[in-house]
Amino acid sequence: MSNRKYGYYPGCPSESTAIEQDMSVKAVFEKLGVELEELEDWNCCGAAEVEDPELVYALNARNLAIAEKKGVNIMTPCSICYYNLERSNKALKGSEELRAKIRGIDDSLAYNGGVEVKHVLDVLVNDIGIEELSGKIEKKVNVKVAPYYGCYIGRPPLTAFDDPDAPVLMDQLIEAIGGEAVPFDYRKAKCCGGPLMMTMQDIAFKMARDVLEGAKNAGADCIALACPLCGMMLDAKQEDIEEAFGIKIGLPVLYITQLLGLALGIDASKLGLNKNVVDTKPILGKVV
Amino acid sequence: MIKTWELDPEFKYEIMKESGGEHLTACFQCSTCTLGCPLTEIIPTYNPRKIIQMSLLGMRNEVLTNPDLWVCLICQTCTARCPQDVRIADLLGAIRRIAEREEEAGKLKIESVRPSFDKAFMHQIQKYGRLYDMGLAMEYYREKEGSFFKGMMTMSKDYKKFGMRLFKKGKMGVKSMFPVKVKDREVMKKIFEHMEAEKG
Ligand code: SF4
Ligand code: SF4
Repeated sequence: MSNRKYGYYPGCPSESTAIEQDMSVKAVFEKLGVELEELEDWNCCGAAEVEDPELVYALNARNLAIAEKKGVNIMTPCSICYYNLERSNKALKGSEELRAKIRGIDDSLAYNGGVEVKHVLDVLVNDIGIEELSGKIEKKVNVKVAPYYGCYIGRPPLTAFDDPDAPVLMDQLIEAIGGEAVPFDYRKAKCCGGPLMMTMQDIAFKMARDVLEGAKNAGADCIALACPLCGMMLDAKQEDIEEAFGIKIGLPVLYITQLLGLALGIDASKLGLNKNVVDTKPILGKVV
Repeated sequence: MIKTWELDPEFKYEIMKESGGEHLTACFQCSTCTLGCPLTEIIPTYNPRKIIQMSLLGMRNEVLTNPDLWVCLICQTCTARCPQDVRIADLLGAIRRIAEREEEAGKLKIESVRPSFDKAFMHQIQKYGRLYDMGLAMEYYREKEGSFFKGMMTMSKDYKKFGMRLFKKGKMGVKSMFPVKVKDREVMKKIFEHMEAEKG
């Protein structure tokens, strides 16, 4: 039986650029009857910019300790938050010395290793399960979807919960909601370029272009994803990428929880479908 | 050409002492990392295997000033495929941190703007405990352009269309002008101060 309550770690973009992901996660879990309790006063995981692992561990020791005090496991919708939380969790669980050292900085960083960390995709497919989800589907989301996983779902091996090159969890969800996962080859798990968005935009755009064009050429109606940074690159920056290369993509980009929410019969506005930058109306027309 | 008198035999130990650099000497130069790296399609000369080889040889200066250090996407493809568990993505991070410390000590110059972006990002966490997008952008552009004014000019140019797009979706507005802060900011300060002190 799955644990029916999670400590929710929304991540920094949840209130701004990825608000639709946050809305859809909350709406989906409410509908499924799985309680999410937001971790009180959670702090930033360190993202891709904090390079010193020890600093990442210290920052996340606090988040883990907050969950531990509440007696909940952590679930996060962001792949980078997941990676930082889980690698910190592993490092701290594995070393009393590290725990003591970090505890020495401040009492609020005292963590005893009693928490599990999961990504929302992992929770949906492996904790709740396709069977339970299938039983609750109210509508057929009749769309061709390019399932885009990006980096931290299947890599690195230390924290991965899916295959590094040919991940499948999102494909299973797409099938369950009545959609079709188009063949999306190596691009499924290729980096979107996000980490270079602000510092080497030309390279970041080339990376994202390959993913976007791959999805379009595969005949997808939309891209599904599970990470706010991918959302930033593929959705919010899509128009800039079109302009930079003189190409036309025009592909809606949805969080997998938005697609799942539609299948569960949740209202589009509750799923934040008006918040995605590329218009999602063509997708709504295919929900029957 | 390799000049043996310029090699630093201690360099590999220096890297291995750094968190993330521990597995350096496990590398047997098979090139799997480079072959799978998505950057090589864009930059054909990009070669993580070679950076590792040069590190093992002790080519300290060449490695620490290599601009390719700052292009890595941290996508973890190399780490996932390496038969020797070298954890290249972490390893490159360890080398970058050594390079940053050397720059702070005035011993070398990093051309890439990435360290200033990372620093500006960390300052937001240090101050607020959360990412404050606007604060990050303002600090980064100021550093990158050399002055607050020039930074604001470039920033408004870069953000013109993009910002409007987000504004229309209610993702950028008055609310995003102000940082969201954790309540316990004292502990954020402590964490950063502690790490700073530890690095000497
Ligand atoms: S894949 Fe691993 S062993 Fe092979 S060259 Fe790269 S780091 Fe060395
Ligand atoms: S982590 Fe860096 S070096 Fe490794 S495959 Fe990705 S971009 Fe290439």
